[in-house]
Amino acid sequence: MPVYLDCNATTPVEPSVAALVTRFTQQDFGNAASPIHDYGMFARAAVEHARNLVGKVVEARPDEVIFTSGATESNNMAILGLIAHAHKTKRRHVITSAIEHKAVLEPVEYLERQGFEVDIIRANSAGRFCVEHLAQVLRPDTLLVSTMHVNNETGVLQPLDEVEQLLTGHDALWHVDAAQGYGKELEQLKSKRINMLALSGHKIFAPKGIGALILRKQDGHFPPLQPLMFGGGQEQGLRAGTLPVQLIAAFGEAAKLALRMHAAREEKCIAFRKKVLALLSTLDVEQNGAERWTLPHSINISLPGIASDQAIRALKNVIAISSTSACTSHTQTPSHVLAAMGRSPAQVESSLRLSWCHMTPEVDWDAVATILHNLHKTKT
Amino acid sequence: MDVFKRLEETVNKQFDHGDLPKWLADPALEVARSPQLYQDNEYLVELLLQQVEEYDVYAEAGCCKWAYDHEDVARTLRWLKEGK
Repeated sequence: MPVYLDCNATTPVEPSVAALVTRFTQQDFGNAASPIHDYGMFARAAVEHARNLVGKVVEARPDEVIFTSGATESNNMAILGLIAHAHKTKRRHVITSAIEHKAVLEPVEYLERQGFEVDIIRANSAGRFCVEHLAQVLRPDTLLVSTMHVNNETGVLQPLDEVEQLLTGHDALWHVDAAQGYGKELEQLKSKRINMLALSGHKIFAPKGIGALILRKQDGHFPPLQPLMFGGGQEQGLRAGTLPVQLIAAFGEAAKLALRMHAAREEKCIAFRKKVLALLSTLDVEQNGAERWTLPHSINISLPGIASDQAIRALKNVIAISSTSACTSHTQTPSHVLAAMGRSPAQVESSLRLSWCHMTPEVDWDAVATILHNLHKTKT
Repeated sequence: MDVFKRLEETVNKQFDHGDLPKWLADPALEVARSPQLYQDNEYLVELLLQQVEEYDVYAEAGCCKWAYDHEDVARTLRWLKEGK
């Protein structure tokens, strides 16, 4: 089997996390909404324990954690859930960046079709959205600013600290898509200025199908969201549906480990990165995104003259990698992120994303180097 | 520091400086000091630790329950004893 180097798409599940999924599927399968017997009580205790653990990573209170099916749902809820409030207050101006995930861009496009005014801020060649541009388009009636934490294609950390300064004292709600950086970069998401945070479980070694929306209370009130689903009143009336206790418990365990094991995991990722950079230094490659802002576990490169799919196929027996966001790679559309960073079509079409984690085994780098050198020779 | 040591420290702190009563502190300390008996159920020990950390006599007061009271702690201790 090739070594899996696509951890930005999804991570493997930690063994202790998988053990909890089994436990709450087979043995302790109660419904958290039926705390009238031990089955239900235990399920409820597990959910509240997980809520606490998930919130702790970003210094949120447990009552500020709303469980969802994943970051896509959380982003949709944060953006589309504001429609009623926007109509009521007549504030219909929304700002987001050109390098957001489709789970943000598409709901914002939907708002635009409904008559909202939308500004999309530029990104620079380093892979970061432009805060100066954000400052230019920010208006007194801006309803929402939606920015990402870490870009999923490049691994580049975004300037949230600068956005925090800009938005201090402004009424706009601030939503951050933290799917890619939650549990990996621990500082920026603690900002109390961020009103809403979208989180994903399967990017931090929990299973797919679980995430959360953190809604930070201001003066005791949640951001003015309306639910998108009805039928049960779970999650403080904001997200109806029976809670998937096994997935929630797993997400909690993964969040706990993300905090507890952060330094050790980061050290392993940095050591792995050194090997990747050593290999790349022997090749004709261009890095997409500034190295100084890129998190230790991923890198995006372009191999001039070699199409992404050609390289992926050539390497498929040694390493499993991707060319763009997992959510858009199946559509074969060129990366909107790299294009927004000013990369040429040729650079975009030759881009590769390698992403790893503390569980990634050793790679036969000599084999990788030989394959890539051969591809270069074929090209010339 | 492992979860048992943290539990012992937290129980002592909540007993000495918080509202945790002796009838809960004693069995919780027994768990903390018996890792050989409970190491296979670390999940529940972690849960107990969180409940002791956030113990609040008035957890059930008000509209929402965002802390843990004596019933929560006692229930988790029972689950540990039963080997749940």
